Amino acid sequence: MTSKDLVLESAADRTIRFERDALAFTDQLYAAALRYTKNPEDARDLVQDTYLKAFTSFHQFEEGTNLRAWLYRVLTTTFINTYRKDQRRPQIAQAELEDWQVAEAQSHTSDLGKSAEVEALENLPDSDIKSALQEIPEEFRMVVYLADVEGFSYKEIAEIVGIPAGTVMSRLSRGRKQLREKLAAYAKELGYSVETSKKTVAKAALEKGGKS
Amino acid sequence: MSYIEIQCGDVLSSVIFIIEGELEQLPQRSAIEEHITHCLPCTAEIAHERAMHDLLQETLRRTCNERAPEDLHEAIHRQLRAQLAGATEVVTQFSMTEISIEIDEFGNIEHREINIEQTHIQHFIDEDRDETR
Repeated sequence: MTSKDLVLESAADRTIRFERDALAFTDQLYAAALRYTKNPEDARDLVQDTYLKAFTSFHQFEEGTNLRAWLYRVLTTTFINTYRKDQRRPQIAQAELEDWQVAEAQSHTSDLGKSAEVEALENLPDSDIKSALQEIPEEFRMVVYLADVEGFSYKEIAEIVGIPAGTVMSRLSRGRKQLREKLAAYAKELGYSVETSKKTVAKAALEKGGKS
Repeated sequence: MSYIEIQCGDVLSSVIFIIEGELEQLPQRSAIEEHITHCLPCTAEIAHERAMHDLLQETLRRTCNERAPEDLHEAIHRQLRAQLAGATEVVTQFSMTEISIEIDEFGNIEHREINIEQTHIQHFIDEDRDETR
């Protein structure tokens, strides 16, 4: 066996290993790519490019470490570098993001707001949930998706997206908040609004009664 | 009471750290914990935020579960095979024909042709060459 045969064999073995281990994530990566690119054609291309890039640098991947996180990193980097449509879109001010604290101090939410929000989440159709997710800024959408759908830890997300861990927390907090606001707005359109809820009417009546 | 050290607003703006179990990252951790043990509205608010987060997560997971189209799986497979075979193969073909004509003293002509052909296939993988550098 010559050295060339050895090279060939290791490449073939590596291909088999790659196909066995990495291709198992195709569906997951495709769903993530849909969130990133917002359309099936680009999502397709992104997943294909991701696998090509991952394959050619697979020798750099350390066996035994988290392959799924590594693939998401390749996906995210590929997206940021090639597929981001609007390159001139103004970026969120970095200083604002580095701050771990949510800018506006939150206050206690009323019980009414709470019940309407739960009702909204439980009743909204999938299409509305996806639309709401699409409407929040890309930086937020990515981290919310990686955390809440893929279940990555904030440290893993920092690695995948290439941002500091503190920024992940900030984006996660803002992203979830915006998403919930969007969902609440959709719910309102569908009639799950605070105004139409029976509880609201009852409580409003109680408050009126209390005051007089 | 020490729980007044920190305002409800400060606790609630850190609610993500509480939900994510990352409170130890914050310098005001103990003040927040102290506040929560005494403040009923904050405790209720955190419980609500946690419940909403679980519900949001569940909703997102239920919704974002598209499967890749069948032909995408095939396309990726083909692409990898092409990458392995196409871009990494160097074929060297060598072909030689030797013709000899001999005329002996009686005028007989002897004509000989020898064909030599050789095909050599070499496989190069870019990454492997990198590794040997």
